[in-house]
Amino acid sequence: MGLADSRLAVFSPVDNTARVDVVIRRLADAIALELLADGEQLPSELELASQLGVSTVTLREALVSLRHLGLVETRRGRGGGSFVRTPKPTEAGARLHGLSPQELRDFGDHYAAISGAAARLAAERALDAELVPLRRTLADMAAADTPAELRRLDGRFHIEVAAASQSARLTREEIALQADVGLLLWLPYGPADGHGVACAHRDIVNAIGTGDSETARTLAERHIQEAVERLVELRLLEP
Amino acid sequence: MLIIDRVTGLADRVFATLAEVRAATVALAATVSAEGRDLRAADLARLRPLLYRNLGPLVVGLGFVALPGLLPDAPWYLEWWQYDPEGPPGQFRVELDPAHPAFYDYTRWDWFAAPREGVERSLCGPYVDYLCTDEYSLTFSMPVHAGGAFVGVVAADVFVRSFENHLLPALKDAPSTAFVTNAAGRVIASNTARWSGGSVFRGAPGLVAVPVGATGLSLVVAE
Repeated sequence: MGLADSRLAVFSPVDNTARVDVVIRRLADAIALELLADGEQLPSELELASQLGVSTVTLREALVSLRHLGLVETRRGRGGGSFVRTPKPTEAGARLHGLSPQELRDFGDHYAAISGAAARLAAERALDAELVPLRRTLADMAAADTPAELRRLDGRFHIEVAAASQSARLTREEIALQADVGLLLWLPYGPADGHGVACAHRDIVNAIGTGDSETARTLAERHIQEAVERLVELRLLEP
Repeated sequence: MLIIDRVTGLADRVFATLAEVRAATVALAATVSAEGRDLRAADLARLRPLLYRNLGPLVVGLGFVALPGLLPDAPWYLEWWQYDPEGPPGQFRVELDPAHPAFYDYTRWDWFAAPREGVERSLCGPYVDYLCTDEYSLTFSMPVHAGGAFVGVVAADVFVRSFENHLLPALKDAPSTAFVTNAAGRVIASNTARWSGGSVFRGAPGLVAVPVGATGLSLVVAE
C-alpha cells in the first residue's frame, strides 16, 4: 500500500470490525480465565449486547467468530441459547501441533518480556499490602488438588504480579497472553511438577517483597522460558 | 494552598455523591422495612436513576455493595453500574456463587473491608483494577448502616488519570517538586517525572510530606 493509500485508510470511516474484535477478545479472555464457566449459559443476545454496550449486529458477528473458535456453542429450540465451552487440554494438544517450534519460541520471547518487565516493576513499586494477595494465591496453590484449579490459580498469580507493577497496560497484556496460550503452557506439566512451580513462584514473590528488581525480572523470565522450552520439547516429540 | 484545595475539593465531591447514594439506600431500606418485609436485590433497582445521574467521566463506577447474607434472594450482591461514554450505563457482572472457582469475594478488598471496620471515608488505590475497569483506578467508599447495623458499602471508582488531570494545573504552578501520594506513599499525581505516578515515596532528603485534610492523602513538597 502506498502512502496515499495509507492516508486514505486512515481517513476511511471506522467500521464495525474494531468493536467486534473488542467483544470477541473480552469474551474469549473471560472464558480462558474461567470467569465464565464451562457450560454456563450466556444472557440473551439482546441483554448481552446491551450489557456490552454494542449493537446486536456487532454481538452476533462476535458470537459467530467465538463459535468458530469453539468457545461458544449455540443450541436451538427449547432450553436453547449460547453456552460457554472451555477448551479442553486435548484441544490444546491439537493447537500445539499447529504451531512450529520457532513460533513457540517467539511466543516465549514475548511472554517472558512482559512477565519479566512486570516482575521488575512490581519489585520496585509493590507495597506490603499488595504482597498479601500474592501470598494468598501461593497458599491456595499449595492446597489445590486438581490440575484445573492449579492452572486457574497460576493464571491469577501472574495477573496479580502484573497488577503489582502498577501498569494497566502490562496487566492487560498479561491477561491477553494467558487467554491466548495459557492452556498450552500447562500441557507439559503433570501433577508431579506442582512443587517446582510453587518454588519458582515463591522465589519471585520473595524477590518482589525485598525490592530486588533485577532478581525478580530474571526469575520471572526464567519461569516462562522453562515452560516454553518444555513446550518446544513436547512439540518436537510429535511425529 | 491551591493543590490541597484541588485534592480536597475532588475528594469532597466524590464523597458527597457517595453520601447521597447512601442516604437513598438507607431510605429504601427503611421503606421496605416499614412494609414489613426484607430488603431484596430487586428493590435495589430503585437506586438506578440516582446512580445513572451521577456516573460520568469523573465517577466511572458507582453503587451499593451488600454485606454477604443481607439480601435473602442474593447472598452476595453488587448493585454496581459503570459509565459508558458511548451509551447507557452498564451493570457490572461478576461471579458471585461461592462454589464457583472464579468466585469474586469482594469482602477481601480494602474498599469493602475498611468501611466495614468503621472507616467513614476510605480511599483505596491507586491500583490496577483488572477485575472491573481494567484501568489504573481509585475506589472511594463509605459504610452504610440501617437499623443500627452495618449492611454494606457505597463505593465509587475514579480513574487515576481523571484525578491527575484535575490536579495538574495546580501542580504545574507549584514553584518546585510537588506530588500527591496515598497514605502508603504511592504517588498519584506529580509535577516531575522523577516521582512519576505509580512509584513509591518512602521519604527523601529535602522533601516533606504534608497531610491533605482528612483524605488520608499527602502532598509532598520541597522543604
